Amino acid sequence: MSCRHSHFDNKSAYEHVKEARKKGLYASLETHGVEMSGQTASFLDNAKTTIFFLQLTFLVCNTFSFPSDTTWKILLLVSIGILIWKTGRSALLGWGRLGRLHRLIEEERWEIEHHREQEREELLALYEIKGFKGKLLEEVVDVLMADDNRLLQVMLEEELGLQLEVYEHPLKQASGAFLGVIFSSLLFFAALFIPFTYATYVFTFLIIAFCAYHEGEKQKSSLSTFLTWTLAIAAAALGLVHFLSQVLV
Amino acid sequence: MTAPYIFDEFFASGKEETISPFLTRSSRTWGKNLPLKISLLSAFFLLLSFLSLLFAPSYSPIFLVLVYFLSGTPALIDTIADIKNLEINIDVLMTLAALLSVLIGSGHEGALLLVLFEISGAMEESVTVKTKDALQSLHNLSPKTGLTIDNAGVVIEKSVRDISIGTNILVKAGEIVPLDGKIVEGSSYVSLVHLTGESKPVPKKPGEEIQAGARNIDGRLLITVTRSSKDSTLSRIIELITQASEAKPQLQRWLDKFSKIYASSIILLTCCFAIALPFIFSIPFLGTEGGIYRALTFLVAASPCALILATPTAYLSAISSCAKKGLLIKGGVVLDAVSSCKTIAFDKTGTLTTGELQVVGIESFSLEKPYCSNELALRIAAGLEKGAHHPIADAITSYAQVNNASFYPVDNFLSIPGSGLEGTIQHEKETFSVFIGQASYIFSKLPQGPWKKIQETIASSDKIHTLLLIKDTLFVFKFTDKIREEALSALSYLKKKHRLSLVMLTGDHEKQALQVAKELPLDQVFSHLTPQDKLDKIAEISTSQRLAMVGDGMNDAPALARATVGISMGKMGSATAVEASDIVILHDDLSLVPWIFTKAKKTMQIVKQNLILALGVILLATTPALLGFVPLWAAVILHEGGTVLVGLNSLRLLRQK
Repeated sequence: MSCRHSHFDNKSAYEHVKEARKKGLYASLETHGVEMSGQTASFLDNAKTTIFFLQLTFLVCNTFSFPSDTTWKILLLVSIGILIWKTGRSALLGWGRLGRLHRLIEEERWEIEHHREQEREELLALYEIKGFKGKLLEEVVDVLMADDNRLLQVMLEEELGLQLEVYEHPLKQASGAFLGVIFSSLLFFAALFIPFTYATYVFTFLIIAFCAYHEGEKQKSSLSTFLTWTLAIAAAALGLVHFLSQVLV
Repeated sequence: MTAPYIFDEFFASGKEETISPFLTRSSRTWGKNLPLKISLLSAFFLLLSFLSLLFAPSYSPIFLVLVYFLSGTPALIDTIADIKNLEINIDVLMTLAALLSVLIGSGHEGALLLVLFEISGAMEESVTVKTKDALQSLHNLSPKTGLTIDNAGVVIEKSVRDISIGTNILVKAGEIVPLDGKIVEGSSYVSLVHLTGESKPVPKKPGEEIQAGARNIDGRLLITVTRSSKDSTLSRIIELITQASEAKPQLQRWLDKFSKIYASSIILLTCCFAIALPFIFSIPFLGTEGGIYRALTFLVAASPCALILATPTAYLSAISSCAKKGLLIKGGVVLDAVSSCKTIAFDKTGTLTTGELQVVGIESFSLEKPYCSNELALRIAAGLEKGAHHPIADAITSYAQVNNASFYPVDNFLSIPGSGLEGTIQHEKETFSVFIGQASYIFSKLPQGPWKKIQETIASSDKIHTLLLIKDTLFVFKFTDKIREEALSALSYLKKKHRLSLVMLTGDHEKQALQVAKELPLDQVFSHLTPQDKLDKIAEISTSQRLAMVGDGMNDAPALARATVGISMGKMGSATAVEASDIVILHDDLSLVPWIFTKAKKTMQIVKQNLILALGVILLATTPALLGFVPLWAAVILHEGGTVLVGLNSLRLLRQK
């Protein structure tokens, strides 16, 4: 498989496949990395971020002894700002990813239509690694090459490492972000009514713990480690800001 | 193993989000009619903003920000793209006017401009998207794979792109021929209805050419490929449609050109006024009495809101009215084109006729006394044809059912692909064979000499026919393609009221064409036309006068696309014809053709009235604005008042009469 055609850019068919997989991985990721795909993930991520920033704002307002009605207004404005920003960003990044995936599928379709021989070589390389040999390998590739729809699906999944029908519509994903921000904001404002000095802190850490627990579960990482680290980061950030504000006040 | 994902629909739609292969099926609906949904949401916020002005003015800008976010952002993106491409059009002017209106404190007027513009655009897009649905069927008709046979006789399925000239391919009964070729083995009836419009199945034998897109009805054919997939008849027809579609929209080009000149002129004038007015009138550059302020007022007043809405609102009202009647119109400019047509051409099969064969008579021939009655012959023919699936078989069995003739029991049934059917019956304690099929097959069972004259008589018939042989008696079943009930009144109305010249174009033989022509008030008839001939004929007529074409088959598609206006029958028509046409008659009601001509002419009247009104308002508001006689609020009222009047005038087209 040492074809030196321009389609392969002086690489072997298998090296070309590896490059293509990287390209597919890039296309399927949200490059800014903050918003996760899917409305549930988006809900959890944004609920966690919102409650953290509201608590941070509340802490600063308290340190600088703002009147309570001013603090309320500041918190309300911050939560509205976060709501629009996070919802909009979530949708925008979702559309960005969808656009990249659509461009990629268009490119791959063009390759199938115009470089059939090279696509065949790529398939041979891919299935040779899977253990197919000789006539069986040729037959498998012939079957795959017969139907352009099937070939495109195979190239997307095998060459580019993409999955079909797994992403949510950007607006659906954004609705998760929207609900996440609303959920956290409502709970935070509810906490303000509780006659207990540290009520907002308790709510903040409970919500962060709830979101981190579900995210950790989804990522299949060690739950206790992930949960502890997330809470520790939140505590460190809030603690640092608290004591720095004491110095600055 | 699950079936592969079908990507063709996705690409054919122009990569529509609603059918994106990457999105989960449940979430795809979120993207449906999104521009329209967003523009309506924006309109809702604008309404809240106006209401807030009355009750709580400080809240009004909050809603206004949302309107500019939802409607202004897409407009700004398009404008930046237009400017990047050095295209100064009305879209650029509209966005500029809307955004600059914020700078001179008229944010609400700018927002109204954006919302109205977006709603009109979204509605037009929504109509266009609906008309694209048929595109998928076009791809379905064009087979993507073929069964090749290698030297060892092994059958391998291959993509048509990989099948080279000279390869042998196998086409089973019921399948569509994937590539043009020559039959080397087998015979069969094939349906060319989508390629030529010929409703009668055509027999094909070894040595004969067969085209891609033909449907193999009953036999098994081995074909040697003579043309590659990109040169096949089917690809050629699709290519003709594309070329013809691209050659057509003259009115659209004129509108674009006008929009560019208008927008560039207004922007240029605004810049000139901003610089020159302070010198002419001795006023400052800045401030509410300044030259820049007056120039911006001129720009807002000259922003062609009413002018922009003059045509789309009228067209959309007409399109909506047409949709209620069962007519799908691909954009407003089509109505303009309809009103300018002087000639209308009709396809025959499926358009002027229903496209279904009907038995119109049974005639018997024998050298002595006929063996049996026509009634018994009908029962035997129905018994033979009951298992077959082609138009002639359907016509015979339906005719038998209508006449309460029970199907005669037939044994030892045998189908001879491309020729006919054979079976044995028992009658009057005697068992014998009966045959039904095309003339050459039936006459091969009879001695040549005594039957020669009868053979010539049958061949000279102007009707489609099939022959049944029972013993030594020949029964000729005659068929006709039924003319639509509403055809006569519709064509008469078009001729008398709209003074149109009526032409018929058909792929059928001259005799069958003339038979239809003598019952309808046609001015010219052209028969035996291939898709290319139809296209040439349409192009020829189009050079001297504007022409509408009404058709249904795939063979009509290039002509439909090339005509000034293509009108297709939605129910009866092939997906290709629907795709290539500008107007689709959803319920195949031919009487809607004269109705659409009346509606189009009325739409043109309203568009003219709207344009006069809109231009009048612009002239009335801009010049005094420059002189400082008309304050901004008055210019805005004049401007928006004109817009409302234009809108109300357009709504008159919603009436169904």
